[in-house]
Amino acid sequence: MIAVEDLRKRYGKTLAVDGLSFTVEPGRVVGFLGPNGAGKTTTLRILLGLVRANSGRATILGKSYSQLERPFCQVGAVLEASGFHPGRKARNHLRVLARAGHASKTRVDEVLKIVGLEGAARKRVGGYSLGMRQRLALAAALLGDPGVLILDEPANGLDPEGIRWLRDLLRSLAAEGRAVLISSHVLAEIEQTADEVVIINKGKFVAHGSVESLTRSSEGRVRVRSPQAAKLEKQLTKAGLKVDVDGDALLVAGGSSSKVGEIAAKSQVVLHELTPIATQLEDVFFALTTEEKR
Amino acid sequence: MIASLSSEWLKLRTTRTIFWLLVALSAVITLFVVAGVVTSETQDVSSPRDQLDLLGIGMLALIIALIMGLIVSTGEFRHGTITSTLLATPSRASVAISKAIAGMLFAVALVGLAEGLVLLELAIVLPAKGVDFAIQGGPAAAFLGRIFLAAALWGAIGSGVGLSIRNQIGAVVGCFAWLFLAEGLINAILRSHAIDSHAGRFLPLQATGAVLNTGARNSADLLSHTAGMAVLCGWMALATVLALVLLRRRDVS
Repeated sequence: MIAVEDLRKRYGKTLAVDGLSFTVEPGRVVGFLGPNGAGKTTTLRILLGLVRANSGRATILGKSYSQLERPFCQVGAVLEASGFHPGRKARNHLRVLARAGHASKTRVDEVLKIVGLEGAARKRVGGYSLGMRQRLALAAALLGDPGVLILDEPANGLDPEGIRWLRDLLRSLAAEGRAVLISSHVLAEIEQTADEVVIINKGKFVAHGSVESLTRSSEGRVRVRSPQAAKLEKQLTKAGLKVDVDGDALLVAGGSSSKVGEIAAKSQVVLHELTPIATQLEDVFFALTTEEKR
Repeated sequence: MIASLSSEWLKLRTTRTIFWLLVALSAVITLFVVAGVVTSETQDVSSPRDQLDLLGIGMLALIIALIMGLIVSTGEFRHGTITSTLLATPSRASVAISKAIAGMLFAVALVGLAEGLVLLELAIVLPAKGVDFAIQGGPAAAFLGRIFLAAALWGAIGSGVGLSIRNQIGAVVGCFAWLFLAEGLINAILRSHAIDSHAGRFLPLQATGAVLNTGARNSADLLSHTAGMAVLCGWMALATVLALVLLRRRDVS
């Protein structure tokens, strides 16, 4: 549905996107992750025909954005929460887009209701909070009832309730068979929302997979506390495990909790805590992007 | 294209900018009409030709049309709405042309209102001064036809220049500087030093003067109505093509 193939974009001496390739299938929410300056926004803007790539292809439903028939009704996008005329009322902002994008007039009030802005629809956008602007940007993205959604940091400015609302909205849209590509810095949120993640760094592809497979493939750690911490650390290191000190505890990587327990028993070390720590998406993200930096 | 044009027209109608520009235009027109009639000798505003010249006060609407075109186009970049505009209408040519046409339509409507106001005020102020309202249908209609055409071209020029320059303050200040300083200076330099001392006639303001010339002023330095219109069309085409080329070449990031 969304296909990025060997995409490259250079700004002067900076290579913003460097041979990036990935796909997004229908019915999936795909998180698009990377540190600041990784090339996420540039990639999304190339997909939407706003920025021209130097080489490679970025297609939606097999075509470039500008080649799609009535693209506004096929692809919805949130790129920034600041793209509003402050003196225009929210409803009029949507009416303007609906006219240009061939969306139905009745859809304007529908999307205002979906994003919870029906009560503020006749207020000028200049008086909106960041969260309200974000909801209005989402309303604009949903205006054409599109099958593909491309969202750049849509949770910015939303309060916890808004973030939960967004998560439920995106899940329900994916359940309807839509493809959702969402870039975000809130990794915990992406972990709860996305089926898959694409991780990029310095414009290059780093990883793509389901959240589960990425966290499973990454080694977890074991938190262990002992009154004989120094002796245990020595034994664990001797066994080839990586040990970090975290206050009065040791964080052990490279071995399961059973293995750590066995080493402790063999060394006759008393344990006060032996807790496996599940790998979070955040751990995977930092591990992969830090490796890239090295 | 129709959808894009309809959207551009709605954009023009849904901010308060248009309201304040109309208020400003009405106030300035009223001031000029009243002052123009009251401070003139009775014999200077009695003839149909003199009163036709007073209709020229509606030319102020051309400046407002130009500014509106600039504000609407540069506003897309200032407020970041160019992103959603291009998402809804990915054809940048359609966006540039729609903006030009919307600018033209708005300018024509604005001049219609301005000239309507001038006529209404003249119909009140002239009899109050003891002068008969003597504007004749034929010459007035011809003048109004020319001012409508000139306004349409100015509206499109504003839209095109705005899309090209993008910086709102720079565009508005630059246009005022051109209108009230640069063109006069260039014209004066051309007259005094240039090989062709009549080259200044092809500048935008001079061409507009040619289109709107009622014959009351010395028109030796002006082009004919038709030639002036052709030159103004050329300036409009230049502004629109420049906007189109730059909009297509630039990344929106």
